[in-house]
Amino acid sequence: MLSVNRQQISQLLQFALIVSSAFMIWKTLSVITNSESPIVVVLSGSMEPAFQRGDILFLNNRQTFVDAGDIVVYQIKHREIPIVHRVMNQHSNLQKLKQFLLTKGDNNPVNDLSLYNRNQLYLNREKDILGVVKGYLPKVGYLTIFITENAYFKYTLLGLMAISSILQRDE
Amino acid sequence: MFSTIKRLQDSFSAASTFALVLCCLIFTSSYVQLLHDRCFDLPSTISDISLDTSLKFSRIHGSLNKKPKENARLTSFSLQTDLSPLFNLNTKQVFVYLTAEYHSVNRKDNSISNKLIFWDKIIISKDDATLNLTNLKSKYSVYDIEKSFNHKNATVRLEWNIQPWVGPLIYGSTTGLETITFI
Repeated sequence: MLSVNRQQISQLLQFALIVSSAFMIWKTLSVITNSESPIVVVLSGSMEPAFQRGDILFLNNRQTFVDAGDIVVYQIKHREIPIVHRVMNQHSNLQKLKQFLLTKGDNNPVNDLSLYNRNQLYLNREKDILGVVKGYLPKVGYLTIFITENAYFKYTLLGLMAISSILQRDE
Repeated sequence: MFSTIKRLQDSFSAASTFALVLCCLIFTSSYVQLLHDRCFDLPSTISDISLDTSLKFSRIHGSLNKKPKENARLTSFSLQTDLSPLFNLNTKQVFVYLTAEYHSVNRKDNSISNKLIFWDKIIISKDDATLNLTNLKSKYSVYDIEKSFNHKNATVRLEWNIQPWVGPLIYGSTTGLETITFI
């Protein structure tokens, strides 16, 4: 009886180790890139054909200024979903190190002014930009879209993981 | 000792390691090829630029509360360049764009660096990568952060961005330069 408990505890610890190390890797990447979410999954088709739904993007937020032509991920104040679009116009104040940006999706006919807040003509480099897209991995993020958009799939997957971690024995 | 789950885990980790190594090899070889073909100083010719400015009053043209905003557009320009060396096994698309870069000083005497995109094009295949375009018009009506351009001079350049199938995004610009004045 005692040995069974010991094994279950060790399995629980192993599971906790996996979860906490994944969390630590994520937070370390966050510190290195200076971005609150250094890896994002593309959710819309507004940058097609460059990025499709489910593609993974790697971001960096260390640079002071963003260049026109760069692709950025931005989040407007009080909005939930971050947007991946290309910078069309940039104006940088070289003394105050402030920058104002206008963006557009490659697949959209017009610029993003209609997506910004009322009376907002530019994005603020410091406040609105989550990161600049540096790297690309196709399709791999589709799993997360599938999980977030299918509640049943999510719970089945979580249940299976929990059951297998309890039942699995190290021999 | 060898359970089904363990086997699945091992083959999954082997497959992902292999895929990662393959991605690195693909990126390195394509980048070496770009360097070998001197892709970072490809020649280009931008000519016959004529520019027109006008006052606009709508938000889509950068105006707030119906205040006049000076907008500029290119009424015609010509472009010659060959971007086909940018296409290799890791090129998904090339985004070419015509930029105007200029400096200005604001009311508080801070120096401002500006860059605007007049025109862009997405090229998907190597066959379409040789550009010999005449009598083009700018795609976008551009405006300064101030209410007018104030007769500044700007440098016009053709720049490109390679969207890869996998790996880092690559940016560069062609060597052709042209100067315009916002009248």
